[in-house]
Amino acid sequence: MNKKENKPSQLAMRFFYWFCRPDFREEIEGDLMEQFNIYYKNYGYNKANELFIKEVVFLFRPSIIGNFNHLTNTHTMEIINQNKRLVTILALAIAILFIPLIAMNITNEVNWTLFDFIVVGVLLVGTGLTLELILRKIKTLKYRILLGIVLFITLFLIWAELAVGIFGTPFAGS
Amino acid sequence: MVNIKIMSETTLGEFEEIVVMIVAILDGDAYSVGIITEIENRLNRKASLGAIQTVLKRLEQKGLLKSEFGGTTSERGGKRKRLYEITALGQEIIDQTKQQRNSLWDAMPRLSFNLY
Repeated sequence: MNKKENKPSQLAMRFFYWFCRPDFREEIEGDLMEQFNIYYKNYGYNKANELFIKEVVFLFRPSIIGNFNHLTNTHTMEIINQNKRLVTILALAIAILFIPLIAMNITNEVNWTLFDFIVVGVLLVGTGLTLELILRKIKTLKYRILLGIVLFITLFLIWAELAVGIFGTPFAGS
Repeated sequence: MVNIKIMSETTLGEFEEIVVMIVAILDGDAYSVGIITEIENRLNRKASLGAIQTVLKRLEQKGLLKSEFGGTTSERGGKRKRLYEITALGQEIIDQTKQQRNSLWDAMPRLSFNLY
């Protein structure tokens, strides 16, 4: 049994999650999974998946849907907001890269090579993506703040090491 | 008079009656997939999860069944099952339904059975 065959149609499951009353979801999702596993043992993956989809369709009825208000809460806004935040973080990382680029045109004190831009770009985008991952996976404010601080301290130390070599590693700058 | 009032308020459909009886048979271990299996085994009849869930919720609303969350299994993807039990009212209704059926059977003329 490969990984895909352990799971029924995710599209049907998402449809179920959308229409099912929130307080019924846990028990009925468990029932669907249990039935899928029974069907899988008896008929194999394809038939089990087909029967699973059929069960989900038959569940689409007023008593299971309940109040229509929850149908508008599809987490779409949350996903849109998450993606907006990701774009903002990445845009900010690129915007930071523009600072030395502009400075290079104003003063001779700043003299970055293409390699410097690539390294700092990877560092900033990597930090941005890690921050987004923390915000998506960690739901507790305390741990978000803690991990965020650790991330930025790490970014600062790596940058400082690359710039002036505070630890004296082979990558240390001068 | 009271019984007539209860019966008129909580009349059971055929499928509802079956589900209440199966819940009573399973005696505390009744949950939707178990009930479907039991219906298939005892009555050789298919029932969808949607139909069972609808009837269980309706019966619970009528006060004929009560429920609480039970344990989880890996087959259920870690989701808890809802276990159903028959209430005193449910027991009373099902007893009355049986009496009514019996009285109807008794009232039927024997002629009906000689047709085949």
